[in-house]
Amino acid sequence: MAVFQAALLNEVEKLYKKKKAFVAIILSLSMIVLGQLIIVGVRTGFGVRGVGSAEFPILVLSVVVNTILPLFTALVAIDSFSGEFSHNMMRITLTRPVSRFKVFSAKVTAISLFILANLLLLLVFSELAGFLFNANSASFGGFARTVLAYLVSFLPMLVLALGIVLLANIFKSGISVFFLSILFFLVFKVLGVFFSSYASLFITTHLDWYNLWLAHSFPGWKILRQLLIMAGYGIMLFTAGFYLFDKKEF
Amino acid sequence: MDKVIEIQNLSKLYPNGRGIHEINLDIYQGDIFGFLGPNGAGKTTAMKVMTGLIRPDRGDVRISGYSVIEDYEKAMAKVGCIIETAESYPYLSAFDNLKQAARYYPGVDHKRMDEVLELTGILRYKNEKPRKFSLGMKQRLGIAAAILSRPQIVILDEPLNGLDVEGMIDMRKLIKHLAETEQTTFFISSHLIHDVELTCNRIGVVYNGRMLNVESMDSILKNYATLENYFVSEVERNGRVPSRAS
Repeated sequence: MAVFQAALLNEVEKLYKKKKAFVAIILSLSMIVLGQLIIVGVRTGFGVRGVGSAEFPILVLSVVVNTILPLFTALVAIDSFSGEFSHNMMRITLTRPVSRFKVFSAKVTAISLFILANLLLLLVFSELAGFLFNANSASFGGFARTVLAYLVSFLPMLVLALGIVLLANIFKSGISVFFLSILFFLVFKVLGVFFSSYASLFITTHLDWYNLWLAHSFPGWKILRQLLIMAGYGIMLFTAGFYLFDKKEF
Repeated sequence: MDKVIEIQNLSKLYPNGRGIHEINLDIYQGDIFGFLGPNGAGKTTAMKVMTGLIRPDRGDVRISGYSVIEDYEKAMAKVGCIIETAESYPYLSAFDNLKQAARYYPGVDHKRMDEVLELTGILRYKNEKPRKFSLGMKQRLGIAAAILSRPQIVILDEPLNGLDVEGMIDMRKLIKHLAETEQTTFFISSHLIHDVELTCNRIGVVYNGRMLNVESMDSILKNYATLENYFVSEVERNGRVPSRAS
């Protein structure tokens, strides 16, 4: 466990010192400011109500889980793998007394922590923005539901990250992985629309699964089914990614 | 003396037909082993297999009694190495680069990190990032990271790359000092044959992926004027280098 902790600490330090994660978080937060400015503008300019305190964080979530959050997750995941493959930096870690499984797991855990941190910061700031500008509709129940929506959004984002990690272990170039990730993302989104009966098989559909948790009549079976599909994808993608990482020659 | 590295029937063949074939070699504690061979002979391939960067097709390497294939963490626990080029994270300072390595070794503290930076002559650059370093300074940082944990075995692939004359002399002194005072075993490959002659006490010659011979430096210098003569003679017998030095 001590070796894994050391590997994880190293990965987190690299993520932090590269400042890419920091820039990603700043840009995510700027989405909130922009969103709130638009709402205030719409309300004062056109007399439209916009969204209340409870709805604003959910509105932010619905935008970021389909746009910047997958984008930044892809950037961080690609940098963590392809970035180190291309500059032979992976050798620095792999020639230390740490198994490849622990290195791989530490990298995936660091990416997970980045996703979680990004989601939590978005939650805090969108709640603050919602409260400051639309305090009239604030309630504890609404807050709890919002927290739940943000927390459950972590799971599909992690599965998406594992898919990108797999691609990073298949293709040499980080740029190829980045564009392929975007391509797959768009293709799955379109397929999800045209083949709606099979939509639950596409991971991009699950990005919106937080809506299930917000439904008034709790769809327990549907949540369980989606949870199991995501867990299945997660296990398969992790295993395939690690298999390729373990076989790689440096 | 104790065997610290055992290379047994090691084979690794690349799709282009190159690689290493059935290499057998024992390295003993306190050896400063020079691994010589022409370009493409298989030196780096052997060293990459030894450090787990690539897997062999056949055979095994045991370091301190542990297989690098089956028990990697234990095998590498007392090993420091540089393979091909001394890599470092360009966005971390020299000190932070060492800190990354230090986390894997419980006994390594900040004092030790300063100590290795001092030993390799880059202490005053400890807070600078390697992206601003010259090749020689990067090499010094790589060597500092390799010896950071007071390893019993140090595997160095072309450790003198990019070093100036002063750097080469310093590095030779450092290797000899560690071998004498801490009984550190060195496994070194280098193209600088004169430097290998001055540094190493045992020599192995690899050619076309096969181990040709292993001899002590003393016995080589009894029979040949220089290590270069020995090397040329060994390789010539296998039909590669035209006779030029005798």
